[in-house]
Amino acid sequence: MYAQVLTFGAAFLGSAVESIEALTIVLAVGLTRGWRSPLYGTLVALISLAVLVVVFGQLIVTRVPESTLKLIIGTLIVLFGMRWLHKAVLRSAGVVAMHDEDKSYAKTVSEIEGHGAARQDWIGFTIALKGVFLEGLEVVFIVVAVGGTSGGLPIAVAGGLLAMVVVAAIGLVVRKPLARVPENTLKYAVGIILTTSFPRSVSQPSI
Amino acid sequence: MRFIRAAGAEVLGLFVGDWLQTGVSIAIIALGWLVLSRVHLEGLAFVVAVGLAAQLVYATTLEARQRARSDSH
Repeated sequence: MYAQVLTFGAAFLGSAVESIEALTIVLAVGLTRGWRSPLYGTLVALISLAVLVVVFGQLIVTRVPESTLKLIIGTLIVLFGMRWLHKAVLRSAGVVAMHDEDKSYAKTVSEIEGHGAARQDWIGFTIALKGVFLEGLEVVFIVVAVGGTSGGLPIAVAGGLLAMVVVAAIGLVVRKPLARVPENTLKYAVGIILTTSFPRSVSQPSI
Repeated sequence: MRFIRAAGAEVLGLFVGDWLQTGVSIAIIALGWLVLSRVHLEGLAFVVAVGLAAQLVYATTLEARQRARSDSH
C-alpha cells in the first residue's frame, strides 16, 4: 500500500512539473496567436506519444529479459532522481536561478512575435507540437521509471494522466502560466522518492 | 532531423548532467549489483546508497564552488 502511494505520488508530482512547462508553451501560443493551431499541435503530440509508448513499450517488454530490464530501469530511476535532487539543491542554494514560468512564457511569446498571421498557423502548431511532445516524452520516462520495476505501472500511468488532466484543467480556468507552483519543492520530493526506491531493485538481483 | 536531435538531447538531459558524475554513479551501481549478486547481504544495498549519496554531495558542492568562482571573476 505504501509503495503504491509512493509510486502514484512520484508519477503525479513529476508529471505535474513537466505538464506545467508544456502548459506554459501552449498558453504562450494560444494567448498570442489564437487557440486552434496550438490545440491541434497538442493533440498531434499526444497521439504521437501514445503510439511511441505502445510500440516501444511492447518491443522492450517482449525482447528484453526481466532482470536486465529491472537493472536498467533501476539505474535510470537513480540517475533521474539524483539529477533532480542535484538541480533542486543548487536552486535552493541560489547558485542557479529558480525555474521561472513567467520568464519561459515571455521567452516563447517573444519567439513567436514578429511572425505574421497566416491562414494555417504552422508556427503556432509547430511550437505547441514540439513543446508538448518533448515535455510529454519526459512524462513518459517519469511514469515508466517510477512504475516500471515495482509492478506499479498502471498506478504510475494513472498518476501521470491525472497530473496532465489537473494541470490542463487549471490552465483552462486560470489562463496564465502557473508560476506560483513550488516547482523546486516538487523536484526535491520526486528526487527523494525516486532515489530511495532504488535499494529495492539492487537488493533483489536475479543474476 | 533537428526535432529528433532536440528530443534526444532532452531525454538524455533527464539522466545526464555531467558525464563524469554519471559515469561514477553507474560504476557504483554496477559494482554494487555485481557484489550483491554474489554475496547476498542486504546491508550491502545500504553501502551502495551511501556511496551514491556521497558522490551526489561531492558533485553538487564542486559545481556550486565552480559557479561561485566564475561569478566572482
